[in-house]
Formats: sequence, structure tokens, C-alpha cells
Amino acid sequence: MTIIQRGLMVGLLWICLAGSPRSLPAQTPPEEGSQEVITLLNEQNRKLSNDLRRIHREIAALRADLDKPGIKDVFAGIGYIFGLFGVAAFIASRRKE
Amino acid sequence: MHISDGVLPISVTVGCYVASAALVAWSARRTRNEELPKLAVMTAAFFVASLVHVPFGPTSVHLIIPGLTGALLGPSAFLSIGLGLLLQSLLFQFGGLTALGANALMMGLPALACGWFFQRYKGRTQLRQAFVGGLAGAAGTALAAIILAILLVAGGEDFFGVAKIALLAHIPVIIVEGVVSAFTIGFLTRVKPALLQTSFLRQTKAAHG
Repeated sequence: MTIIQRGLMVGLLWICLAGSPRSLPAQTPPEEGSQEVITLLNEQNRKLSNDLRRIHREIAALRADLDKPGIKDVFAGIGYIFGLFGVAAFIASRRKE
Repeated sequence: MHISDGVLPISVTVGCYVASAALVAWSARRTRNEELPKLAVMTAAFFVASLVHVPFGPTSVHLIIPGLTGALLGPSAFLSIGLGLLLQSLLFQFGGLTALGANALMMGLPALACGWFFQRYKGRTQLRQAFVGGLAGAAGTALAAIILAILLVAGGEDFFGVAKIALLAHIPVIIVEGVVSAFTIGFLTRVKPALLQTSFLRQTKAAHG
């Protein structure tokens, strides 16, 4: 078993060592196309950063909106006020009896 | 016009809390049972009025209506404003919870003063009542700005500088509140004068006895 495992390990290592130099030339871009690729990347980069800035602005606006009291808070407050005064009126009416 | 947490020194904060607690207790004792519904409605109106934004030039200002609350509620106004401010600070994050006492004094004292002023000087005619009501509404905000300046002086600011800024910033609010109060009180004198009358009678009783 151990011999088979060692053999497998060595084989894998050999394949990696042998395979890696062969795959390298494919990744390097051709010399004549590099300028185009750079301009394309720059354009893409600019577009993406514009989008990102817009999203940042929207998040800031959303956060500002979240700080503002919503309709829920308004009705909660009115409910509290009427409820508290209702309790006060109830207690006052009981005390009178 | 709300004071936030941490602006005032602790001694002033505690003092304001004690003073406003005493005023709330006095205000609650002066409230009659029959007036509780009116008090509830006015408290709700005061609570919501701060959300009515009036666009003015580059900024927008919001109503405060201490003067109108005082004119309609008389001595009970302090209780109403205290409760309204508590809920505003809890739900809207207007002003801090520790500064609640200072805020209550800032809005409540003008309300009491304007209530007294309105009850004292309102005449019989509808026009005069509307005019005096508008005056009381405008004076309420102006007084609140002055009390704000006095409280900030306790925090170590220059009084006249702060007072000038606070008053200048609130000139549009003062005008708008005067108009709103005048219309409201003019409407009430025509539709339901009893709303203005009850607290008037109580007020004179207190003034004499």
C-alpha cells in the first residue's frame, strides 16, 4: 500500500512539474493585443468605479432615510399617547366612584 | 430645536430634570378629568407637528407649536409637552433622553407663558382671538429659542452669539407658527369656542386664588 501511495505521489508531482511550464506560455497575452486589453480594462474599471460610487451614494441616502421617523413611528407614538391618556382617564374615573 | 445628549453639563441636566419633574407634577395636578381627551389630542398634535416640514430656501424647518399647545391647554400644557417630547426622543431620536428635562423646560415654559398670555389678552371678538393666538404661537417659538440660548450658555457658549443664531434660524418657524396658530385658534373660536373657554375659566380662577 505505502509503495503504491508513494508512487502515486511521485507521479502527481511529476505531472505538476511537467505540466506547469507547458501551461505558462498560454497565459501570457500576445504582444500586439496588450494595448487593446489595457484600454478595455481601463474602460471597464472606470465603469465599475462609477457604478460603485452610485451605489455608495444610494446607501448613504438609504441610511439617511432610515434615520428619519417612518409612518410606523408616528402611529406608534399617537397610540402611546392615546393609550396613556386612556389609562389616566380610567384611573381618574375609578377614583371618583 | 432639540438639545442633544452630551451638550449640557451634568449639573444643568440634573437641574433641568428636577425642575421639569416638578412642573409636570404641578401640571398633572392642575388637569381636570374632563380635559383628558383634549389633552390627549393636543399631545398627539404636538407630537406629530415636528414632522411637518416647511421648505424654506435651501433648508426646511419644522413646526414645534408650543405656543398653540399652551393657548389651548393652559397649565396642562407642560404635561402634554413633556409626554410628547419623551415619545419624540424615544421614537424619532429627536434630542437625547438625558437632555429630556432641558428640552421639556425649553418647550414647556414658553407654552405656559403663552397660555397665560393668550388667556389674559384674548378678547371677545373672533378676530382679536385669532390675532392674539397668532401672537402667542409666534412668541412661543421665540421664547423657546431664547431659553435654548440660556441653556447653552450653561454649557459654556456665548449668550448673544447663540441667541442671535437661534433666533435667526427660527425666524421662518416663528412666522409659520404665528400663521398656523392664528388660523387654528380663529377656526376654533368659530367652531368650538368651548375648547378655548374652559381653560380660560380655570386660568382666571388660578390667577385670583
